[in-house]
Amino acid sequence: MNGRERILAHLRGEAIDRLPLMPITMQFAAGQIGVPYRQYAMDYRTLVAGQMRTAEKFGFDFVSCISDPAREAADCGADIVMFDNSPPAFREDKARLADKAALAELKAPDPHGGGRMTDRLRAATLFKEKAGGDKLIEGWVEGPMAESADLRGINTIMLDFYDDPSFVGELFEFVLEMELRFALAQLECGAEIIGIGDAAASLVGPQIYNEFVWPYEKRLVEGIHAAGGLARLHICGNTTKILDGMGRLGCEIVDIDYMTAMSAARERMGNQVLLGNAEPVGVVRNSTPERVSAVVGECHRAAGARYIVGAGCEIPRDTPEANLRAMSDYAMGHKP
Amino acid sequence: MEEAKRLYTAVIEGDAKAAKETTEQALAAGIEAVKLVQEFMVPAMGEVGRRFQCGDYFVPELLLSARAMKASLELIRPLLAAGGVEPAARVVIGTVRGDLHDIGKNLVGAMLEGGGFEVIDLGSNVEPEKFAEAVREKKASIVALSALLTTTMPAMRTTVEALGKAGVRQQVKVVIGGAPVTQEYAEEIGADGYSETAAGAVALVKHVMGLKS
Repeated sequence: MNGRERILAHLRGEAIDRLPLMPITMQFAAGQIGVPYRQYAMDYRTLVAGQMRTAEKFGFDFVSCISDPAREAADCGADIVMFDNSPPAFREDKARLADKAALAELKAPDPHGGGRMTDRLRAATLFKEKAGGDKLIEGWVEGPMAESADLRGINTIMLDFYDDPSFVGELFEFVLEMELRFALAQLECGAEIIGIGDAAASLVGPQIYNEFVWPYEKRLVEGIHAAGGLARLHICGNTTKILDGMGRLGCEIVDIDYMTAMSAARERMGNQVLLGNAEPVGVVRNSTPERVSAVVGECHRAAGARYIVGAGCEIPRDTPEANLRAMSDYAMGHKP
Repeated sequence: MEEAKRLYTAVIEGDAKAAKETTEQALAAGIEAVKLVQEFMVPAMGEVGRRFQCGDYFVPELLLSARAMKASLELIRPLLAAGGVEPAARVVIGTVRGDLHDIGKNLVGAMLEGGGFEVIDLGSNVEPEKFAEAVREKKASIVALSALLTTTMPAMRTTVEALGKAGVRQQVKVVIGGAPVTQEYAEEIGADGYSETAAGAVALVKHVMGLKS
């Protein structure tokens, strides 16, 4: 049973030989091949090389196109700040939609248009060539809340929910169309599961999440499913108050960050396959292999059989290899 | 006094227009600026922090309240300055070099301002030397540092060192926070305190300053 088969069988509820292993790595993967993060994020060949090296070395069952939240916004013409060894980031004061009126003129970028979205499509294509059939290939898009925050400015959109809800609706419609198109293009290139990163959704609370964010996340998931893809939801931060909604999206996998109790996620999300949620810095990076193993075991027991091994969020760059090895060993040594 | 009570409600409800109007009315009715701050604004933001801490309020509601508070403070501050009223302390706050994430820093800044401190916000991606300059220029007694990334956390240490090199480390307390930051890290880099949450920042600053909570 290879990694791809293992994940897919697990998602179908079939018996598998051991727990699947799907930790998010970005900066750690760049570190594995000794390149600055800027190069990893900007060149699909580097990203694929880093992912392949990391997946082979630690026994991951998947490889991922994830790198940073700025690809779509960059292709929309946003002012992105690049750093040598941190992910690209946004400047709120120069947000692409600092002026709301700019939305009417904004055209959704073509994923094949030669920009940063195209670079991700090339990663998916290269993954298919190098790992297709062996490891599950994961594409990645920003969720509606996260991408809207990227385009509008995260501080500003928080106020927009109260100041101008109809603008928020228009922005979310734009983002949904763009992200769905991007997701489908990645599926066409070889991705089989699409990760949806909706980081900022944990900041808004259940009322705004259910009213504004959830309907768009749901349509994104439905669109991915309609195209034959699988969906993985990843919301950073404390999602305790929005777990019910997250569980109703119909995603094949839902990641749980460390600030949310895995037991609460299991209690409120039925039979959902859950992934997580060892604390990335405090436990995975800063503690010992024994502690990592013990914490992953606690997560497994809290989540039960419908569980995939991973951390709450990205494995930090300077994580000792022995600690990630301990996480891997747990997956290798345990059945669901 | 009705106006002042309405200011309290306006800040909690995040209604900037009402906060401005009630402040104008309260001042016109002869209520002292310092009383408005200490007896209405600070308790209102304290209540906002409490609601945020217990999960009744989230980031949008906290930012709305912060905006309402600022609308009122714009009218009150010049009067406090004219009356020679000093803030509890001056806080220089910023996200460290290499890090553009500012929402956590903004939440902490709002809570500290609502706690009666004067907040000098240096923004994000702030060079270590800028913190030292601001401390000297503004006579600040607190430096609050934020970082969201493990890769930018080391700039917190560099900033603490820069305060030392500039000869201002002894006159300030340094507090830090952000998703990857821990109490252990605060101790490791020689910071004076760490808060896990924005709402906890006010109590932390009061604690390190030896002020009453």
